[in-house]
Amino acid sequence: MLISVNWLRDFVDLPGNLDVAALAERFTMTCAEVEGVERVSVEAKGLIAARVVSLAELPGTRNLRKVVLDVGGDEVTTVSAAPVLRVDQCVIFAPPGARTNATGKIGTAQVAGQDSTGMILDGASLGIPMAEDDAIFCPPSMVPGEAIPPEMLDDWVIEVDNKSITHRPDLWGHYGIAREVAAILDLPLKAYQITPLAELSQNGLPEIPIEIDDAARCPRYSGLRIAGVGHQPAPLWMQVRLGHVGMRPIDCLVDLSNYIMAELGQPTHAFDGDKLTKIEVGLAKPGEKFTTLDGVERTLPDGALMIQNKRHHVALAGIMGGLETEVSDGTQTILLESANFEPAGIRRCATALGLRTEASARFEKSLDPVNTVQAIQRFVYLAQQEFPNLELASTLSDCYPKPADPIEVEIDPTFVRRFMGHEVSNEEMAHILTAIGFDVQPAGSKLKVGVPSYRATKDIGIEADIIEEVARYVGYDNIDSRLPDVTVRHFPPNTQHVRERETLRALCRALGYCEVHLYIWLDDAWLKHLNVTAPSTIDLRNPAASGQETLRHSLIPGMLAAADRNRLHLDGFKLCEVGSVFTAGSDVSNQRRNLGMIVAQRGKNIDDELFATLKGDVETWAWRVLGTPATFVPHEGASPAWAHEHKTAGVSIGGIAAGTVSVVPLALRREMDEHLASWGIAWAEIDLGVLASAKAEDLKLKPVPEHPEVELDFSMLVPATDTYGTVNGKLATFVHPLLRRINYVTAYEGKSVPQGKRSLTYRTRIGAADRTLTDADLTEFRNTFADFVKTCGYEQR
Amino acid sequence: MNVADLRDQLAAIQTEAEASFKSAKTVDELRSARSQVVGKSGSLGKLMGTIKDYAPQERGEVGKALNAANQAIQQLVDQHTQRIEQADLAADASQTAAFDPTLPGKRPPLGSVHPVTAVQWQVEAIFERLGFTVEAGPEMESDYYNFEALNIPAMHPARDMQDTFWLKNGLLLRTHTSPVQVRAMEKFGAPLRCIVPGRCFRYETIDASHENTFHQCEGLMIDRNVSIANLIAVMRLLLREVFERDVKVRLRPGYFPFVEPGFELDMSCLICGGDGCATCKKSGWLEILPCGMVHPNVLKFGGIDPHEYTGFAFGLGLTRLAMMKYGIRDIRVMNQGDLRSIVHPSRLNGPTVVERDRC
Repeated sequence: MLISVNWLRDFVDLPGNLDVAALAERFTMTCAEVEGVERVSVEAKGLIAARVVSLAELPGTRNLRKVVLDVGGDEVTTVSAAPVLRVDQCVIFAPPGARTNATGKIGTAQVAGQDSTGMILDGASLGIPMAEDDAIFCPPSMVPGEAIPPEMLDDWVIEVDNKSITHRPDLWGHYGIAREVAAILDLPLKAYQITPLAELSQNGLPEIPIEIDDAARCPRYSGLRIAGVGHQPAPLWMQVRLGHVGMRPIDCLVDLSNYIMAELGQPTHAFDGDKLTKIEVGLAKPGEKFTTLDGVERTLPDGALMIQNKRHHVALAGIMGGLETEVSDGTQTILLESANFEPAGIRRCATALGLRTEASARFEKSLDPVNTVQAIQRFVYLAQQEFPNLELASTLSDCYPKPADPIEVEIDPTFVRRFMGHEVSNEEMAHILTAIGFDVQPAGSKLKVGVPSYRATKDIGIEADIIEEVARYVGYDNIDSRLPDVTVRHFPPNTQHVRERETLRALCRALGYCEVHLYIWLDDAWLKHLNVTAPSTIDLRNPAASGQETLRHSLIPGMLAAADRNRLHLDGFKLCEVGSVFTAGSDVSNQRRNLGMIVAQRGKNIDDELFATLKGDVETWAWRVLGTPATFVPHEGASPAWAHEHKTAGVSIGGIAAGTVSVVPLALRREMDEHLASWGIAWAEIDLGVLASAKAEDLKLKPVPEHPEVELDFSMLVPATDTYGTVNGKLATFVHPLLRRINYVTAYEGKSVPQGKRSLTYRTRIGAADRTLTDADLTEFRNTFADFVKTCGYEQR
Repeated sequence: MNVADLRDQLAAIQTEAEASFKSAKTVDELRSARSQVVGKSGSLGKLMGTIKDYAPQERGEVGKALNAANQAIQQLVDQHTQRIEQADLAADASQTAAFDPTLPGKRPPLGSVHPVTAVQWQVEAIFERLGFTVEAGPEMESDYYNFEALNIPAMHPARDMQDTFWLKNGLLLRTHTSPVQVRAMEKFGAPLRCIVPGRCFRYETIDASHENTFHQCEGLMIDRNVSIANLIAVMRLLLREVFERDVKVRLRPGYFPFVEPGFELDMSCLICGGDGCATCKKSGWLEILPCGMVHPNVLKFGGIDPHEYTGFAFGLGLTRLAMMKYGIRDIRVMNQGDLRSIVHPSRLNGPTVVERDRC
């Protein structure tokens, strides 16, 4: 929202030397965020109004015309590129000697062989946005030669952040802003100048019949028929102000409507008064079409609220008028609509149509129904000054079936002080509230606060709302901070969160991993490199980019992309991410938290080594975070495309199948990026959710044995087809009273080991609780273990 | 063999042994040289067993000769053991060029958490010391928790403040960590103190200062008599701890439907020191901590009686905080996984000799 300081001066006697930046700062601190303050500086000198006497093409030029102007008795000839000049129009002219900041000092020049005296000013050089190079046109009341007051053109514009006034419909207009500014500066707010209601409503003229089908959708509809108006420019000051707040001046009737909207926040709409006799507010039928005044035919969404004339649609309520009943150049009578609509309905319809207008943006905010009539009063007040022939053609017709009840909130000053944690006297509260339009009456130990209508639409309704009003005027920065007194209570730890934190700690602080955060949607283009199409998980209705519709089912695709990115600059790295992954379904539970790990290194034939490193890291992680060992089991079920056909294992933790460890096969590395052919990439993905039930091992420590224990190493030849896991499984069944532990030592293949076999070395530790072992014990154990190995089908070396 | 020959042989063995002991450079070498002499099958050891081959009257003499030889060998061993030990001591005490005490140590790569995680942990630690529990919530969230229970009904204009990623399954990607407010109230009731760090998503165009995926940390405190003054105190404490110094802040009105009153807490921009730069949009201030007193309706949604309890809530921008703390100027690097922009070079590369900014 752009706010013109000149405009505010209509309502508050701001000091002449006002420090606008300081005011903006105070406004930010007490009311709503100011995003910027800008000086509109034209610094005009010597500008006058001038009437176009004649126009002629300038031969040899594309768009220049020779313009003869009446500058108040004298005639001058100038050259102009303004595209829409017409004879008898009144423009703003800079005669020789005049100046503005945009044009500098104006003189006399030769343009395309034509003597050109002075210059017709376009909107841009006066700080008014217009269609390209368009001149500003003055209303008929201005006479040629009339001086243009320069102070009107120079202004300050304050930009208020729209998001910060979402809840304040009153701040969507200059008058509401002025009310806050007056309170901030402790100055009086001037009354809003309007035509007295009696003149409009008790004038003996006919009523406009208004029929509202559902008062919930349209709480109030006010209308007035006005004759004797027409198509002409708005007064210059109005055009300038509209220009300063970002609206393009168009025509007096449209500008009046916009001006009042920018002043009061109340949108109005002028219908061509000859085209309707009656107003009905009803709903569109499914599939109906309607052409709005921008010339677009639109299919009306279900439940669209429509303004109708004898049940024929004439406007999309609160959003845009219809083309058919639009005011045209020849219109002399208008029907002015000023209504109040239910915000959600307007928002729903505008969203469905993709048609958000200045009007709909305001109706969405729950406007004050009181404003419908006020806006009409203001319209008449301003229009009378521009249209000498203006005549009312109806009485002010107002359909307001269920007037809103005034809101009164009782506040407990003691509670207010406690809630703020700050001492504010009852008098100070009353002073603050009164300044911004609230009515405050004492009621015993409490205060009764009457809420003004412009704050009563969803904005203020409870005690906390009133406290905000008091507190912001006290100034939040003036409240002394004080740490709270608390009730101690115990919260059970959030295991999932603790584990995620511990996971990152273990991986990134001890094992050399770098944590990455990657997008939670997959990228189709990258998936192509991975030889897969997007899985069926959950799709976004409005993806950030096309090809990024699908939420990830795995962390690995994104991590592989990150690995590919990093291979350019590094020779090796470890990546990890803890993040959400998704499965098809429509419940919040269709998401899990996964851990992804990648070990990547430049080098050929290093898959096995990286696989072993990663497994080691998974084991370390499981011990450190879950307090339990991870074991690797043959992988079951379908493998993802990025898993190696053979070099893949399932991760089992405490008997829970928790994930997969694998290496990216060469073929896929080549697909991803030819440079990755000379890399190895191992990855692991672990479902942290299923591990919720994983329990830490009992880590009680045992006393040192009283009698010495002995370690005996055994090497055995096993068929290469028997995995470590298989051999372990068999050894685990060995029972002997002296056995304390069996450890794996090493595996060997090569010289002295026959083809198709592998030598595995294990270390046994034996001991007895009650005595020192004898040679006989050792021999007996050796023999028993050797026999056992034989029964396993292995040969002792 | 007669005795005279034996004597000659013993002398030869002794000479040979001395030479071999001399060449020994380590105690182990000396030990094996020694066992080649006196071991069972050593040159002297073999002779030891021959005593019985001599005539009884010669045995005394032979025995003496063998013993003497044995003793002489042992003397040599002792002498050379001492020589070697001395040499070891001398070597240990001498300086060698190969030893450079200033060379870097051997270590595995350091690794690093994401800058956001680092800041998050810091914030978690601060609040854990204040007795807050750290909670989490789902990233795929329902309309109810993300909006409705936060006093933002359907068609409320405040929904515009948070452009939402909608999912085809009817859920959405949470636009803030605030949905966990009501989830935590349901889980714990009052009094309640919790923070909720987590990832949020907004349907926004990405540029250097806007991301569609970012981290927030929600905070919620509900107790009897929690006041605005308390909120201010905790927020100031938070920023002071995170930045390890007093940070200039200002508190001004802000609108969020789930708090009443609502505030924006700005901190003086640390990049420009408050003079105005691109990061703070030339204002000198950074919006970093939207906060407020929990709206009574939200307490009711969470099953807490607003007449008995009051509370404050805040939504700390963790990503923005991480940018401030680590001098990251482009928010987009956060989710790109390029380690060069999110990991300090010291943690990524080997020992660094020179690290310079590009000119």
